[in-house]
Amino acid sequence: MSNVAGKAYGMNVMTPLRWWTAIWQKVIFWVVVKTFPYFLKGLLTLSLIHYARWTIINRWSFPRLDKSQPKEKLTYSYMLFESNFNGSWDQYIDSFSFAIPSGLDMFWRWNIKYPKSIPLHDFYHYIRFNQVECDHYYNAYPLASANDVKSAQALYADLAAFADSSEALSDDAFAAAWQQFLADNQHSLGSMGTSPLMSTSNQLVQEHHHDDLQLAARQTQQEEA
Amino acid sequence: MTMDRALDLYDIQGNICKGYGRFGFPKARYFFLEFHQYAGARAFLQQLIPLITTAEPWSEKDHPDQSDKPQATTNIGFTYAGLSALGLPRRSLDGFPLEFRMGMKNRAGILGDEGPSDPANWDPVWQGEPVHAWLSVNGQSRQAVVDRYRQIEQLLQQSQGSVTIRPGHKGPQGSLQPWQDASAVYENGRVTPKEHFGYVDGIGNPYFAGCGNDPSRLPGRGKLTRDDGWQPLATGEFILGHIDEAREYPIAPEPHLLALNGTFMVYRKLHENVTTFNRYVDRLATDFDGSRELLMAKFSGRWPDNGAPLVLAPDDAAKAELDQQLAQLTAKAAAGDHTAATELRALKAKWIDFTYNKDRHGSRCPIGAHIRRANTRAALETEKDAFNTPSALDDRRRLLRRGLPYGGEDETPADDTEQGIIFMCIGASLERQFEFVQQQWINYSNDFHLGNDRDVLIGANNGQLTDKHIIQVNPKQGKAPFFCTHLPRMVETRGGDYFFLPGITALRMIAQGIIDPT
Ligand code: HEM
Repeated sequence: MSNVAGKAYGMNVMTPLRWWTAIWQKVIFWVVVKTFPYFLKGLLTLSLIHYARWTIINRWSFPRLDKSQPKEKLTYSYMLFESNFNGSWDQYIDSFSFAIPSGLDMFWRWNIKYPKSIPLHDFYHYIRFNQVECDHYYNAYPLASANDVKSAQALYADLAAFADSSEALSDDAFAAAWQQFLADNQHSLGSMGTSPLMSTSNQLVQEHHHDDLQLAARQTQQEEA
Repeated sequence: MTMDRALDLYDIQGNICKGYGRFGFPKARYFFLEFHQYAGARAFLQQLIPLITTAEPWSEKDHPDQSDKPQATTNIGFTYAGLSALGLPRRSLDGFPLEFRMGMKNRAGILGDEGPSDPANWDPVWQGEPVHAWLSVNGQSRQAVVDRYRQIEQLLQQSQGSVTIRPGHKGPQGSLQPWQDASAVYENGRVTPKEHFGYVDGIGNPYFAGCGNDPSRLPGRGKLTRDDGWQPLATGEFILGHIDEAREYPIAPEPHLLALNGTFMVYRKLHENVTTFNRYVDRLATDFDGSRELLMAKFSGRWPDNGAPLVLAPDDAAKAELDQQLAQLTAKAAAGDHTAATELRALKAKWIDFTYNKDRHGSRCPIGAHIRRANTRAALETEKDAFNTPSALDDRRRLLRRGLPYGGEDETPADDTEQGIIFMCIGASLERQFEFVQQQWINYSNDFHLGNDRDVLIGANNGQLTDKHIIQVNPKQGKAPFFCTHLPRMVETRGGDYFFLPGITALRMIAQGIIDPT
């Protein structure tokens, strides 16, 4: 189990709601997103977030894997919060709580025992308690954060355009255009590298994984010999 | 919440509220203790307590007509191992935050202490079991430091082996010292505020509610409000037992009195590779469009000679103009011109009262410059009004810096001589403040959209092509940004640990052996 893959962290949080407030909440989500986009501005400015999504699941509409799976009778409806982000759990929750506390409270306020996002440690406990850990978490580009991907895409598009437009230029004109190209893209030129350690616990997990690989390699060698 | 409520400054250790350097204490000695026997160690502490300097106001600067400042100060901090050795109950010990209990060495992966900075390469004093306590003596003169040190040495002798000094600090000419001496850097016999790379240091520091500093120091040091004003940071960001910016009490051990008015401190011996630094700057300066000083400023965010921020003077011409203005006002003010004196004060206020709001591109102060990383001054709010307050992502990451340079007195600084900075910083959460800044902002750049680029001065760089710093430009001027690639390791960690600095009441209780969370 790990919620960490490369530079990314996967978070799922399931929090109970009374079934009738769940219906209300759906209406409110819809209204907020339509009419108050500034509520979302803070969320979008927190560049460590890949995406965040709140889904309300009515207590009668939980999925079953198969018709043979008995229906559960649930007391509560639930809100499923999913997010992928770069950085550690603390950094993420801290950023939310520091930067957009009222936005968070709006999303969660009707959830059972939601403590509000300030003070911080009650909020920490609430999220930890309701978090569902990832069994598997896959990351296709472990060296890239969302910002890295956005930078790379911008750079790639600009570089392709530059390649097209610069072919016929004289040496001097090329030099000038190249300088301008670099200036225009100066915010997309960070170096690529591995993720900083998310925690000393995660460091241990990585070390164990490394040990396992070595053990497996030794066993294969022995079998071959 | 942000009111400047009075704190019990007599119960708080002096180094928390005062940077002694600023108060005329250019000399210091740090040394580390081992406790071998509870009762004897506690008896030693009881005798030491009268020497401990509190944050009481002094007559100089901030507080006219108050008690006189001493010739020397003394402060103390304990590691987790130290508190155990003093016999604190399990329950109190377990209440300390994890990173403090683990100690700095075990946080190497987070702090980027690898390669030459790996704990295996630290000074002998840091090898083996952790030290138990940190003692610091600051003095108005070297003699005052030595006198106070001798006084403490006598107390140690009286303890009959219950408390000893752990030696093993690398000193000049390959020596090993029982202590770490530190000193402001002198030029032609005069104290300067410089460190060994040649930068003026010690300007930016947070202002918090109740700190006892002159309120005129608030602008540029507090937290930002929506109307571009400044407010004091919550006391609990720096002192335990007080409300913090998240409107709660910081994580602290029980009982309440053990934590109240105490705090945590980072001690780090940071070696400066002066030859490597100078060579790198020399080599780059030949290609750089601007003076060597400007290039150095583009690393740190401030001009090396007088600390003027780049946002105020972004190039050589602007700096020349600023210097001229400064010289004129200084001369006039010295001749008794009151208007000039007021203008001079207003100009000097701009050394600290600034943000990066008008420098989004980093064409004045590069986005990866040291001070812009270490204190982002609301620059992370890239969309206007996106956050609760402009500096919402910074206010809980501020560091109260309390260090001094060391070395450089007996030998000419080179890579293999001993000089650098004894970096000390204070905060209520080591993890949320120091460790975060060190890991995410110094050794990484995702928050700045600069990938894995690192700080030029103190980043864990290794001379690779991709170990780089970008000096941004104004894109409208058609010039390319300047790339500082192959950054070498300018600064190496040579040791350190995390310390708990108790309040005076707590110190008494520890010394008396009466800490009881029941
Ligand atoms: C040998 C090591 C270091 C050198 C040479 C160095 C150099 C400097 C210089 C020249 C300044 C500008 C003067 C000032 O604003 O006070 C500065 C400011 C600062 N440094 Fe460092 N520094 C070092 C280590 C560190 C470390 C390890 C940290 C934290 C992880 C740090 C955090 C800061 C902060 C917070 C500021 C003030 C920024 C502001 O408030 O605008 N420094 N440093």
